[in-house]
Amino acid sequence: MSTLAVMRLELRRLMVQPLAWVLAALTLAWLAWRFVLLLGQFLGMQIRLAALPDGPGFTDIVAVPLLAQLAFLAFLVVPLLTMSALAGERRAGTLALMAGMGLPPSRIVLGKYLALLAWLLLWLLLALAMPLALARATSLDWGKLAAAALGLALLLAALAALGLACSAFAAHPAIAAAAALALALALWTVNLGARMAGLDGGAINWLAMSTHLQPLLRGLVSSADLAWFGLLVALALALAVRRVADEKERD
Amino acid sequence: MTMPSPLLRLDKLRRRRAGRPAVKDLSLTLDRGQVLGLLGVNGAGKSTTLAMVAGALRPDGGAIALDGRDFLEHPELARRLLGWLPERAPLWPELTVAEHLDAHGRLRGLAGAALRRAREDALARLELAPLARRLAGVLSQGQRQRLGLACALLHRPALLVLDEPANALDPVQVAALRALVREEAANGAAVILSTHLLAEVTAVCDRVAILHEGTLRHEGPLAGTDAAALERRFFEIAMGGEAKAA
Repeated sequence: MSTLAVMRLELRRLMVQPLAWVLAALTLAWLAWRFVLLLGQFLGMQIRLAALPDGPGFTDIVAVPLLAQLAFLAFLVVPLLTMSALAGERRAGTLALMAGMGLPPSRIVLGKYLALLAWLLLWLLLALAMPLALARATSLDWGKLAAAALGLALLLAALAALGLACSAFAAHPAIAAAAALALALALWTVNLGARMAGLDGGAINWLAMSTHLQPLLRGLVSSADLAWFGLLVALALALAVRRVADEKERD
Repeated sequence: MTMPSPLLRLDKLRRRRAGRPAVKDLSLTLDRGQVLGLLGVNGAGKSTTLAMVAGALRPDGGAIALDGRDFLEHPELARRLLGWLPERAPLWPELTVAEHLDAHGRLRGLAGAALRRAREDALARLELAPLARRLAGVLSQGQRQRLGLACALLHRPALLVLDEPANALDPVQVAALRALVREEAANGAAVILSTHLLAEVTAVCDRVAILHEGTLRHEGPLAGTDAAALERRFFEIAMGGEAKAA
Protein backbone atom coordinates (compact mmCIF):
# COMPACT_ATOMS: atom_id res chain seq x y z
CA MET A 1 0.00 0.00 0.00
CA SER A 2 2.74 2.48 0.96
CA THR A 3 4.77 1.43 -2.10
CA LEU A 4 1.78 2.37 -4.25
CA ALA A 5 1.41 5.67 -2.40
CA VAL A 6 5.09 6.51 -3.03
CA MET A 7 4.73 5.43 -6.66
CA ARG A 8 1.65 7.58 -7.12
CA LEU A 9 3.37 10.58 -5.55
CA GLU A 10 6.46 10.14 -7.71
CA LEU A 11 4.40 9.71 -10.89
CA ARG A 12 2.42 12.85 -10.07
CA ARG A 13 5.68 14.76 -9.55
CA LEU A 14 7.05 13.46 -12.87
CA MET A 15 3.86 14.44 -14.66
CA VAL A 16 3.91 18.03 -13.43
CA GLN A 17 7.64 18.62 -13.90
CA PRO A 18 8.57 20.35 -17.16
CA LEU A 19 11.81 18.34 -17.38
CA ALA A 20 10.04 15.01 -17.99
CA TRP A 21 7.79 16.49 -20.68
CA VAL A 22 10.57 18.42 -22.39
CA LEU A 23 12.74 15.31 -22.50
CA ALA A 24 9.84 13.22 -23.84
CA ALA A 25 8.93 15.81 -26.47
CA LEU A 26 12.49 16.36 -27.70
CA THR A 27 13.41 12.68 -27.84
CA LEU A 28 10.16 11.64 -29.52
CA ALA A 29 10.57 14.43 -32.08
CA TRP A 30 14.12 13.18 -32.77
CA LEU A 31 12.87 9.59 -33.05
CA ALA A 32 10.06 10.65 -35.39
CA TRP A 33 12.62 12.35 -37.64
CA ARG A 34 14.82 9.25 -37.59
CA PHE A 35 11.75 7.11 -38.32
CA VAL A 36 10.95 9.15 -41.42
CA LEU A 37 14.57 8.87 -42.61
CA LEU A 38 14.68 5.11 -41.98
CA LEU A 39 11.36 4.69 -43.74
CA GLY A 40 12.64 6.63 -46.75
CA GLN A 41 15.74 4.43 -46.82
CA PHE A 42 13.55 1.31 -46.62
CA LEU A 43 11.32 2.50 -49.48
CA GLY A 44 14.39 3.33 -51.57
CA MET A 45 15.67 -0.23 -51.13
CA GLN A 46 12.41 -1.91 -52.15
CA ILE A 47 13.55 -3.08 -55.61
CA ARG A 48 16.86 -4.48 -54.31
CA LEU A 49 15.16 -6.16 -51.35
CA ALA A 50 12.56 -7.78 -53.60
CA ALA A 51 15.38 -9.62 -55.39
CA LEU A 52 16.67 -11.17 -52.15
CA PRO A 53 14.94 -14.37 -51.01
CA ASP A 54 15.67 -13.85 -47.28
CA GLY A 55 16.45 -10.18 -47.31
CA PRO A 56 15.89 -7.82 -44.39
CA GLY A 57 12.40 -6.40 -43.99
CA PHE A 58 10.69 -3.42 -42.38
CA THR A 59 11.51 -4.71 -38.87
CA ASP A 60 15.26 -4.98 -39.58
CA ILE A 61 15.63 -1.75 -41.51
CA VAL A 62 13.17 0.55 -39.70
CA ALA A 63 11.77 -0.78 -36.40
CA VAL A 64 14.88 -2.24 -34.73
CA PRO A 65 17.24 0.61 -35.73
CA LEU A 66 14.63 3.03 -34.35
CA LEU A 67 14.67 1.17 -31.03
CA ALA A 68 18.49 1.20 -31.10
CA GLN A 69 18.25 5.01 -31.39
CA LEU A 70 15.99 5.02 -28.35
CA ALA A 71 18.57 2.96 -26.45
CA PHE A 72 21.19 5.57 -27.32
CA LEU A 73 18.90 8.39 -26.09
CA ALA A 74 18.08 6.45 -22.91
CA PHE A 75 21.69 6.81 -21.75
CA LEU A 76 21.09 10.57 -21.58
CA VAL A 77 17.42 10.71 -20.65
CA VAL A 78 17.31 8.23 -17.77
CA PRO A 79 20.07 9.86 -15.64
CA LEU A 80 18.30 13.22 -16.05
CA LEU A 81 15.00 11.71 -14.93
CA THR A 82 16.40 9.80 -11.98
CA MET A 83 18.90 12.35 -10.67
CA SER A 84 16.48 14.11 -8.29
CA ALA A 85 14.54 11.04 -7.23
CA LEU A 86 16.50 10.64 -3.98
CA ALA A 87 19.28 13.26 -4.05
CA GLY A 88 16.72 16.03 -4.60
CA GLU A 89 14.42 14.66 -1.90
CA ARG A 90 17.33 14.52 0.53
CA ARG A 91 18.25 18.14 -0.16
CA ALA A 92 14.63 19.27 0.22
CA GLY A 93 14.22 17.36 3.50
CA THR A 94 11.32 15.30 2.16
CA LEU A 95 13.31 12.05 2.36
CA ALA A 96 13.70 12.50 6.13
CA LEU A 97 10.01 13.37 6.28
CA MET A 98 9.11 10.08 4.61
CA ALA A 99 11.35 8.22 7.04
CA GLY A 100 9.51 10.06 9.80
CA MET A 101 6.27 8.57 8.49
CA GLY A 102 7.60 5.12 9.26
CA LEU A 103 7.98 4.17 5.60
CA PRO A 104 10.56 1.40 5.16
CA PRO A 105 13.45 2.40 2.85
CA SER A 106 12.66 -0.54 0.56
CA ARG A 107 9.17 0.82 -0.11
CA ILE A 108 10.43 4.35 -0.71
CA VAL A 109 12.97 3.09 -3.26
CA LEU A 110 10.62 0.58 -4.87
CA GLY A 111 7.80 3.11 -5.16
CA LYS A 112 10.09 5.61 -6.85
CA TYR A 113 11.55 2.95 -9.10
CA LEU A 114 8.15 1.72 -10.27
CA ALA A 115 7.04 5.28 -11.04
CA LEU A 116 10.19 5.94 -13.09
CA LEU A 117 9.76 2.62 -14.85
CA ALA A 118 6.12 3.38 -15.68
CA TRP A 119 7.15 6.70 -17.23
CA LEU A 120 9.99 5.11 -19.21
CA LEU A 121 7.78 2.28 -20.48
CA LEU A 122 5.24 4.85 -21.64
CA TRP A 123 8.09 6.57 -23.50
CA LEU A 124 9.04 3.24 -25.09
CA LEU A 125 5.42 2.58 -26.07
CA LEU A 126 5.15 5.97 -27.77
CA ALA A 127 8.33 5.23 -29.73
CA LEU A 128 7.01 1.77 -30.63
CA ALA A 129 3.78 3.33 -31.86
CA MET A 130 5.68 4.65 -34.90
CA PRO A 131 6.57 1.30 -36.49
CA LEU A 132 3.34 -0.22 -35.20
CA ALA A 133 1.36 2.43 -37.05
CA LEU A 134 2.56 0.80 -40.29
CA ALA A 135 1.88 -2.76 -39.14
CA ARG A 136 -0.97 -3.21 -41.62
CA ALA A 137 0.93 -1.71 -44.54
CA THR A 138 4.08 -3.79 -44.07
CA SER A 139 4.94 -7.27 -42.95
CA LEU A 140 6.27 -6.90 -39.41
CA ASP A 141 8.37 -9.65 -37.86
CA TRP A 142 6.42 -9.69 -34.62
CA GLY A 143 8.79 -12.03 -32.81
CA LYS A 144 11.85 -9.95 -33.61
CA LEU A 145 10.06 -6.73 -32.71
CA ALA A 146 8.84 -8.20 -29.39
CA ALA A 147 12.38 -9.35 -28.53
CA ALA A 148 13.80 -5.93 -29.34
CA ALA A 149 11.07 -4.21 -27.31
CA LEU A 150 11.81 -6.55 -24.40
CA GLY A 151 15.50 -5.69 -24.69
CA LEU A 152 14.71 -1.99 -24.61
CA ALA A 153 12.39 -2.44 -21.63
CA LEU A 154 15.16 -4.30 -19.78
CA LEU A 155 17.70 -1.65 -20.69
CA LEU A 156 15.39 1.10 -19.38
CA ALA A 157 14.75 -0.91 -16.20
CA ALA A 158 18.49 -1.36 -15.65
CA LEU A 159 19.35 2.28 -16.35
CA ALA A 160 16.54 3.46 -14.05
CA ALA A 161 17.82 1.25 -11.21
CA LEU A 162 21.38 2.45 -11.81
CA GLY A 163 20.24 6.08 -11.86
CA LEU A 164 18.24 5.62 -8.66
CA ALA A 165 21.25 4.07 -6.92
CA CYS A 166 23.44 7.00 -8.01
CA SER A 167 20.76 9.41 -6.78
CA ALA A 168 20.74 7.61 -3.41
CA PHE A 169 24.49 8.00 -3.00
CA ALA A 170 25.06 11.47 -4.47
CA ALA A 171 24.70 14.64 -2.44
CA HIS A 172 23.57 16.67 -5.44
CA PRO A 173 21.26 15.72 -8.34
CA ALA A 174 23.79 16.88 -10.96
CA ILE A 175 26.43 14.59 -9.48
CA ALA A 176 23.90 11.75 -9.52
CA ALA A 177 23.20 12.35 -13.23
CA ALA A 178 26.90 12.48 -14.12
CA ALA A 179 27.65 9.34 -12.10
CA ALA A 180 24.73 7.44 -13.65
CA LEU A 181 25.83 8.42 -17.17
CA ALA A 182 29.44 7.47 -16.48
CA LEU A 183 28.47 4.12 -14.93
CA ALA A 184 26.07 3.27 -17.76
CA LEU A 185 28.68 4.12 -20.41
CA ALA A 186 31.30 2.14 -18.51
CA LEU A 187 28.98 -0.87 -18.37
CA TRP A 188 28.29 -0.51 -22.09
CA THR A 189 31.91 -0.20 -23.18
CA VAL A 190 33.71 -2.28 -20.58
CA ASN A 191 34.49 -4.96 -23.17
CA LEU A 192 35.51 -2.60 -25.97
CA GLY A 193 39.19 -3.47 -25.64
CA ALA A 194 38.47 -7.20 -25.55
CA ARG A 195 36.32 -6.96 -28.66
CA MET A 196 38.94 -4.96 -30.53
CA ALA A 197 41.41 -7.70 -29.63
CA GLY A 198 38.98 -10.23 -31.08
CA LEU A 199 37.97 -11.87 -27.78
CA ASP A 200 34.32 -12.89 -27.82
CA GLY A 201 33.95 -14.76 -24.52
CA GLY A 202 35.22 -14.25 -20.99
CA ALA A 203 34.07 -12.41 -17.90
CA ILE A 204 34.74 -8.96 -19.33
CA ASN A 205 32.36 -9.60 -22.21
CA TRP A 206 29.78 -11.06 -19.82
CA LEU A 207 29.99 -7.89 -17.75
CA ALA A 208 29.22 -5.59 -20.67
CA MET A 209 25.66 -4.40 -21.18
CA SER A 210 26.05 -4.45 -24.96
CA THR A 211 26.73 -8.21 -24.87
CA HIS A 212 23.26 -8.77 -23.41
CA LEU A 213 21.27 -6.17 -25.33
CA GLN A 214 22.49 -6.87 -28.85
CA PRO A 215 21.16 -10.46 -29.05
CA LEU A 216 17.74 -9.17 -27.95
CA LEU A 217 17.83 -6.50 -30.66
CA ARG A 218 18.57 -9.30 -33.14
CA GLY A 219 15.54 -11.22 -31.91
CA LEU A 220 17.38 -13.74 -29.72
CA VAL A 221 15.94 -14.06 -26.23
CA SER A 222 18.07 -16.04 -23.80
CA SER A 223 17.50 -16.56 -20.09
CA ALA A 224 21.15 -15.65 -19.41
CA ASP A 225 20.61 -12.15 -20.83
CA LEU A 226 17.35 -11.71 -18.93
CA ALA A 227 19.09 -12.85 -15.73
CA TRP A 228 21.94 -10.36 -16.32
CA PHE A 229 19.49 -7.45 -16.47
CA GLY A 230 17.56 -8.83 -13.50
CA LEU A 231 20.76 -9.07 -11.44
CA LEU A 232 21.81 -5.53 -12.32
CA VAL A 233 18.40 -4.14 -11.33
CA ALA A 234 18.35 -6.11 -8.06
CA LEU A 235 21.90 -5.07 -7.15
CA ALA A 236 21.33 -1.38 -7.92
CA LEU A 237 18.03 -1.29 -6.00
CA ALA A 238 19.55 -3.13 -3.03
CA LEU A 239 22.36 -0.56 -2.88
CA ALA A 240 19.83 2.29 -3.07
CA VAL A 241 17.75 0.77 -0.26
CA ARG A 242 20.88 0.31 1.87
CA ARG A 243 21.89 3.93 1.35
CA VAL A 244 18.41 5.26 2.17
CA ALA A 245 18.33 3.10 5.31
CA ASP A 246 21.65 4.65 6.33
CA GLU A 247 20.08 8.12 6.18
CA LYS A 248 18.97 7.74 9.78
CA GLU A 249 22.59 7.24 10.81
CA ARG A 250 23.92 10.25 8.94
CA ASP A 251 25.87 12.98 10.69
CA MET B 1 -4.01 -0.97 39.78
CA THR B 2 -1.34 -0.34 37.09
CA MET B 3 -0.62 3.16 35.86
CA PRO B 4 -1.09 3.68 32.12
CA SER B 5 2.26 3.99 30.33
CA PRO B 6 3.15 7.45 29.02
CA LEU B 7 2.62 8.00 25.32
CA LEU B 8 6.29 8.86 24.84
CA ARG B 9 9.22 7.75 26.93
CA LEU B 10 12.80 8.71 26.14
CA ASP B 11 15.41 6.80 28.05
CA LYS B 12 19.05 7.92 28.06
CA LEU B 13 18.93 9.00 24.46
CA ARG B 14 22.32 9.76 22.91
CA ARG B 15 23.33 11.05 19.49
CA ARG B 16 26.54 12.45 18.01
CA ARG B 17 26.45 14.85 15.08
CA ALA B 18 29.35 16.41 13.20
CA GLY B 19 31.76 14.60 15.49
CA ARG B 20 30.45 15.98 18.78
CA PRO B 21 27.73 14.83 21.16
CA ALA B 22 24.52 16.60 20.15
CA VAL B 23 22.26 14.86 22.69
CA LYS B 24 23.56 13.27 25.89
CA ASP B 25 21.60 10.80 28.01
CA LEU B 26 18.25 12.54 27.56
CA SER B 27 15.39 10.99 29.50
CA LEU B 28 11.85 12.30 29.69
CA THR B 29 8.23 11.21 29.40
CA LEU B 30 5.13 12.75 27.87
CA ASP B 31 1.52 11.81 28.55
CA ARG B 32 -1.53 12.16 26.36
CA GLY B 33 -3.00 15.66 26.46
CA GLN B 34 0.26 17.26 27.55
CA VAL B 35 2.18 19.97 25.73
CA LEU B 36 5.91 19.94 26.36
CA GLY B 37 8.02 22.92 25.38
CA LEU B 38 11.62 22.13 24.51
CA LEU B 39 13.67 25.25 25.12
CA GLY B 40 17.29 25.89 24.31
CA VAL B 41 19.63 28.18 22.47
CA ASN B 42 20.64 27.37 18.88
CA GLY B 43 22.70 24.19 18.81
CA ALA B 44 21.34 22.96 22.14
CA GLY B 45 20.18 19.70 20.55
CA LYS B 46 16.45 20.45 20.19
CA SER B 47 16.14 19.57 16.49
CA THR B 48 18.30 16.45 16.88
CA THR B 49 16.09 15.32 19.75
CA LEU B 50 12.91 15.92 17.78
CA ALA B 51 14.30 14.19 14.67
CA MET B 52 15.01 11.13 16.82
CA VAL B 53 11.54 11.27 18.38
CA ALA B 54 10.07 11.56 14.87
CA GLY B 55 11.99 8.52 13.66
CA ALA B 56 14.09 10.41 11.11
CA LEU B 57 17.37 9.92 13.02
CA ARG B 58 18.49 6.80 14.83
CA PRO B 59 19.94 7.40 18.31
CA ASP B 60 23.45 6.14 19.04
CA GLY B 61 22.16 4.81 22.33
CA GLY B 62 19.14 4.78 24.60
CA ALA B 63 15.53 3.86 23.95
CA ILE B 64 12.33 5.46 22.69
CA ALA B 65 8.99 3.96 23.66
CA LEU B 66 5.90 5.15 21.79
CA ASP B 67 2.54 4.06 23.15
CA GLY B 68 4.34 1.46 25.26
CA ARG B 69 6.21 -0.13 22.33
CA ASP B 70 9.84 0.07 21.29
CA PHE B 71 9.80 2.74 18.58
CA LEU B 72 13.28 1.88 17.32
CA GLU B 73 12.15 -1.70 16.69
CA HIS B 74 8.81 -0.62 15.26
CA PRO B 75 9.34 2.58 13.24
CA GLU B 76 6.06 1.86 11.43
CA LEU B 77 4.27 3.16 14.56
CA ALA B 78 5.04 6.64 13.26
CA ARG B 79 2.69 6.19 10.34
CA ARG B 80 -0.40 6.18 12.54
CA LEU B 81 0.69 7.76 15.80
CA LEU B 82 3.07 10.54 14.88
CA GLY B 83 2.93 13.85 13.03
CA TRP B 84 6.17 15.77 12.51
CA LEU B 85 6.84 19.30 11.35
CA PRO B 86 10.61 19.77 10.85
CA GLU B 87 12.25 23.15 11.30
CA ARG B 88 11.73 24.21 7.66
CA ALA B 89 8.57 22.56 6.36
CA PRO B 90 9.82 20.21 3.60
CA LEU B 91 7.54 20.46 0.58
CA TRP B 92 7.44 19.36 -3.06
CA PRO B 93 7.39 22.71 -4.90
CA GLU B 94 5.73 21.28 -8.01
CA LEU B 95 2.67 19.99 -6.12
CA THR B 96 -0.33 22.03 -4.99
CA VAL B 97 -1.43 22.44 -1.39
CA ALA B 98 -4.28 19.93 -1.86
CA GLU B 99 -1.94 17.46 -3.58
CA HIS B 100 0.42 17.66 -0.61
CA LEU B 101 -2.36 16.76 1.78
CA ASP B 102 -3.51 13.91 -0.48
CA ALA B 103 0.04 12.56 -0.76
CA HIS B 104 0.63 12.73 3.00
CA GLY B 105 -2.74 11.09 3.62
CA ARG B 106 -2.01 8.21 1.23
CA LEU B 107 1.48 7.72 2.65
CA ARG B 108 -0.18 7.38 6.05
CA GLY B 109 -2.70 4.88 4.77
CA LEU B 110 -5.75 7.10 4.31
CA ALA B 111 -7.92 6.56 1.24
CA GLY B 112 -11.28 7.41 -0.28
CA ALA B 113 -13.79 9.33 1.81
CA ALA B 114 -11.55 9.31 4.91
CA LEU B 115 -8.77 10.98 2.93
CA ARG B 116 -11.14 13.59 1.48
CA ARG B 117 -12.55 14.36 4.94
CA ALA B 118 -9.07 14.65 6.47
CA ARG B 119 -7.93 16.95 3.62
CA GLU B 120 -10.95 19.26 3.89
CA ASP B 121 -10.63 19.36 7.67
CA ALA B 122 -6.91 20.23 7.52
CA LEU B 123 -7.51 22.89 4.87
CA ALA B 124 -10.19 24.49 7.04
CA ARG B 125 -8.26 24.28 10.31
CA LEU B 126 -5.12 25.85 8.89
CA GLU B 127 -7.11 28.35 6.77
CA LEU B 128 -5.54 26.96 3.62
CA ALA B 129 -8.75 26.38 1.66
CA PRO B 130 -8.28 29.48 -0.57
CA LEU B 131 -4.76 28.22 -1.40
CA ALA B 132 -5.75 24.62 -2.08
CA ARG B 133 -4.86 24.77 -5.79
CA ARG B 134 -1.75 26.89 -5.41
CA LEU B 135 1.67 25.33 -6.00
CA ALA B 136 3.75 24.90 -2.85
CA GLY B 137 6.72 26.46 -4.65
CA VAL B 138 5.04 29.87 -4.77
CA LEU B 139 3.76 29.97 -1.18
CA SER B 140 5.09 32.52 1.28
CA GLN B 141 7.20 31.28 4.19
CA GLY B 142 4.27 31.53 6.58
CA GLN B 143 1.97 29.68 4.18
CA ARG B 144 4.59 26.95 3.76
CA GLN B 145 4.78 26.59 7.52
CA ARG B 146 0.99 26.28 7.77
CA LEU B 147 0.97 23.66 5.00
CA GLY B 148 3.68 21.70 6.82
CA LEU B 149 1.57 21.86 9.96
CA ALA B 150 -1.53 20.75 8.06
CA CYS B 151 0.38 17.73 6.72
CA ALA B 152 1.53 16.85 10.24
CA LEU B 153 -2.00 17.14 11.65
CA LEU B 154 -3.82 15.47 8.76
CA HIS B 155 -4.20 11.99 10.27
CA ARG B 156 -4.93 13.23 13.80
CA PRO B 157 -1.76 11.77 15.35
CA ALA B 158 -1.50 10.88 19.02
CA LEU B 159 1.90 12.62 19.19
CA LEU B 160 2.62 15.87 17.42
CA VAL B 161 6.29 16.82 17.06
CA LEU B 162 6.76 20.47 16.10
CA ASP B 163 10.18 21.98 15.48
CA GLU B 164 9.99 25.77 15.73
CA PRO B 165 6.38 25.81 14.47
CA ALA B 166 5.98 29.58 14.87
CA ASN B 167 8.80 30.29 12.39
CA ALA B 168 7.75 32.89 9.82
CA LEU B 169 4.20 33.17 11.15
CA ASP B 170 2.70 36.62 11.75
CA PRO B 171 1.24 37.46 15.19
CA VAL B 172 -2.29 36.52 14.14
CA GLN B 173 -1.09 33.19 12.81
CA VAL B 174 0.97 32.61 15.97
CA ALA B 175 -2.19 33.10 18.05
CA ALA B 176 -4.04 30.64 15.77
CA LEU B 177 -1.19 28.16 16.10
CA ARG B 178 -1.34 28.37 19.90
CA ALA B 179 -5.09 27.76 19.83
CA LEU B 180 -4.56 24.79 17.51
CA VAL B 181 -1.93 23.23 19.76
CA ARG B 182 -4.18 23.63 22.81
CA GLU B 183 -7.09 22.15 20.85
CA GLU B 184 -5.00 19.11 19.88
CA ALA B 185 -3.99 18.64 23.52
CA ALA B 186 -7.61 19.01 24.65
CA ASN B 187 -8.51 16.24 22.18
CA GLY B 188 -5.97 13.96 23.85
CA ALA B 189 -2.91 14.39 21.65
CA ALA B 190 0.51 14.91 23.19
CA VAL B 191 2.51 17.75 21.71
CA ILE B 192 6.23 18.33 21.91
CA LEU B 193 7.40 21.61 20.46
CA SER B 194 10.81 23.17 20.31
CA THR B 195 11.37 26.87 20.40
CA HIS B 196 13.80 29.45 21.63
CA LEU B 197 10.95 31.82 22.43
CA LEU B 198 10.04 31.79 26.12
CA ALA B 199 6.69 33.44 25.40
CA GLU B 200 5.76 30.50 23.17
CA VAL B 201 6.32 28.09 26.01
CA THR B 202 4.48 30.03 28.67
CA ALA B 203 1.53 30.57 26.29
CA VAL B 204 0.84 26.95 25.29
CA CYS B 205 2.86 24.43 27.28
CA ASP B 206 2.04 22.44 30.40
CA ARG B 207 5.63 21.41 30.93
CA VAL B 208 9.01 22.72 29.94
CA ALA B 209 12.34 21.05 29.31
CA ILE B 210 15.49 23.12 28.86
CA LEU B 211 18.32 21.63 26.84
CA HIS B 212 21.83 22.99 26.83
CA GLU B 213 24.74 21.50 24.94
CA GLY B 214 22.73 18.33 24.43
CA THR B 215 21.96 17.81 28.12
CA LEU B 216 18.61 18.15 29.81
CA ARG B 217 19.21 20.83 32.42
CA HIS B 218 15.68 21.47 33.61
CA GLU B 219 12.39 19.64 33.30
CA GLY B 220 9.10 20.20 35.09
CA PRO B 221 5.56 21.53 35.01
CA LEU B 222 4.92 25.14 34.14
CA ALA B 223 2.01 25.57 36.53
CA GLY B 224 3.06 27.88 39.33
CA THR B 225 6.12 29.09 37.41
CA ASP B 226 5.84 32.67 36.31
CA ALA B 227 7.39 33.88 33.08
CA ALA B 228 10.07 35.90 34.88
CA ALA B 229 11.23 32.89 36.91
CA LEU B 230 11.38 30.72 33.77
CA GLU B 231 13.34 33.42 31.99
CA ARG B 232 15.81 33.64 34.87
CA ARG B 233 16.22 29.87 34.86
CA PHE B 234 16.69 29.79 31.09
CA PHE B 235 19.37 32.47 31.09
CA GLU B 236 21.08 30.86 34.04
CA ILE B 237 21.40 27.68 32.01
CA ALA B 238 22.07 29.30 28.63
CA MET B 239 24.77 31.64 29.94
CA GLY B 240 26.45 28.85 31.85
CA GLY B 241 25.64 30.39 35.23
CA GLU B 242 24.50 27.03 36.52
CA ALA B 243 27.74 25.41 35.50
CA LYS B 244 29.75 28.21 37.12
CA ALA B 245 27.71 27.93 40.29
CA ALA B 246 28.33 24.18 40.33
